[in-house]
Amino acid sequence: MDPIILGIAVVNGILLGGLYGAVALGLSLIFGVMRVINFAHGTFLMIGLFIPFWTWQLFGLNPYVAVVIAAPALFLLGYAIQSVIIAPLFERERAMVLEPLSVLLLTAGIGLILDNLALMAFGPSVRGVQMPFASKTLWIGEMLNINYARLMAFLVSIAIAVGLTLFLSRSDLGRSIRSTAQNRDAAALCGINVRQVYNITFGLGCAILGVIGCFMVPFYYVSPTVGLSFGIRSFITVVLGGIGSIPGSILGGLILGVVESVAGQFVTATSASIFSFVIFILVLLFRPTGLMGMKV
Amino acid sequence: MPANRESRSVLIGAGAIVCACFLLAPIGIRGEYYLHVLANILFFAYMACAWNIVSGYTGQLSLGHSALGGIGGYVSTLLFIYLGLSPWLGMLVGGFTAMLVGVAIGFPCFRLRGPYFTLTTIAFAEILRIWVENTDEFMGLELRGAQGLLVPLKGNAPLLFQFDSKVSYYYVILVMLLMVAAVTWWMEQSRMGFYLKAIRADQDAAEALGINSTRYLLSAMALSSFLTAMGGSFYAQYFRYINPERNMGLDFSIEVALMGIVGGQGTVIGPILGAFLLTPAGEISRSLLGGKLMGLHLVIYGLVLVLAVMFLPKGLIEPIGRLFGSRRRRPTEAPAVRTAS
Repeated sequence: MDPIILGIAVVNGILLGGLYGAVALGLSLIFGVMRVINFAHGTFLMIGLFIPFWTWQLFGLNPYVAVVIAAPALFLLGYAIQSVIIAPLFERERAMVLEPLSVLLLTAGIGLILDNLALMAFGPSVRGVQMPFASKTLWIGEMLNINYARLMAFLVSIAIAVGLTLFLSRSDLGRSIRSTAQNRDAAALCGINVRQVYNITFGLGCAILGVIGCFMVPFYYVSPTVGLSFGIRSFITVVLGGIGSIPGSILGGLILGVVESVAGQFVTATSASIFSFVIFILVLLFRPTGLMGMKV
Repeated sequence: MPANRESRSVLIGAGAIVCACFLLAPIGIRGEYYLHVLANILFFAYMACAWNIVSGYTGQLSLGHSALGGIGGYVSTLLFIYLGLSPWLGMLVGGFTAMLVGVAIGFPCFRLRGPYFTLTTIAFAEILRIWVENTDEFMGLELRGAQGLLVPLKGNAPLLFQFDSKVSYYYVILVMLLMVAAVTWWMEQSRMGFYLKAIRADQDAAEALGINSTRYLLSAMALSSFLTAMGGSFYAQYFRYINPERNMGLDFSIEVALMGIVGGQGTVIGPILGAFLLTPAGEISRSLLGGKLMGLHLVIYGLVLVLAVMFLPKGLIEPIGRLFGSRRRRPTEAPAVRTAS
């Protein structure tokens, strides 16, 4: 195989992988703190893509600027869903089980509702944002070119991961979140409002998708069903990297991106996704805590 | 206990009457459409029961059962097209294929605690669906991608699973449903049923008592996969058509799981009840609104799922069971048929 083509595939895979990792961050964060797999995760990304699309379509707003709308909107949406719908169930079940399966079902139901409401409102058509910036590329040497919009999305993804790590390790709120993740009851005894922490965590997990959506929309399509494939990639990513680990999530995303991109050079893109599933199963078999996960 | 025996005989009597009604239904029903709707309900009841064996009894939620059904449908149809093998045999081959796949998915997950099984089933089903949708030919076999496969017509050939009238298909799926209900009932009464309930209630405690939880979870998954693939084969033969979007999609998995959850997981009757309530609801909303509001029936399904999880965690079977059984059962301390999830 031509090393230059392979190099391009690897670079594209890394750019895409950073994005996958950042998309999975919210899922990982919510699971790490609440022990809940959010099945509506892809749906929130879909909303995070539609907000900048519509502000661009209706008001001509630059998608990068739309972050100031999309991120708070998704934070509020996540906060509201957690505090109104999920929290009561959580209270009822927490005495009985550690990882409430019914919460998982509940989020699946929420995803189903929101996905299909979007389908009813916007129809199944595939849309996209046209930006002159998105078609420009950065040339490295003669052969290797990198799309600016993709590079931007990659850099923002890394920035989000670094920012989240700093937030969790340095700020008071971050410490509350981490202590709640370690031991819910002990945190409550120390005066932390656990329910509030859960609401904020869920909101934060969704807000990340609002940011990502704005940086993804210049080079990615928007449709009501776009969330599903990203939701599934996020599950694979977090299991690969280790559920609850921020660097693990990025690493898992990078692996997934490079595998998809390189395998896509040899087989069709859809068959390439089978490779990522095989890796997923192998990790479950031999290192179930994930590459960077700690033993729970 | 005499009281218990009495309530059991009432149950058996009621069951016999319901069965008789279904056996005689084709005589009373005029019009192919209604019989078709009824067969469709029975099909969903069958799939929900098969799903229930692994997800209802063990609490390991599968959202990828459509893939197992799809495997059954594709294997039996491909064997019919290429080798001329009767789908009656093909559905068994499909069943064993799905069983192997199901065990392969279950094995890495059941050794772990947590949501791994759900994540793996959903990821497997989606990847398989996308792969089939984009594969026109695989090792010389024509899969025809998203177009799906047509079952070649042979006229009225009962030995090849092809009948002239819908009545025969109706009876086939009715017998299959009775069979899966009987298997579920038998499993519930057996040692395995009690082990599964123990695992569901508290896996660590069950293992401390010496139950090999991985083994029993895998057995349940193997049985459930086999039965689901048989159902998928029936679907392919009944509609004479199979395509990845409908037969392997996530919507289908969620529909089947929803029926089990709304009706009552971990019971013999619950999933059947759920199918009888939800299939007509979906059918009506689809036929009333037609193509006007795409996705409306799925919004309704989502709402039903959220409401059921919030307000009826044990399914509809519980209030109904209380209506019939509480007076009789309470003094005998009803056996722990349902364990809290």
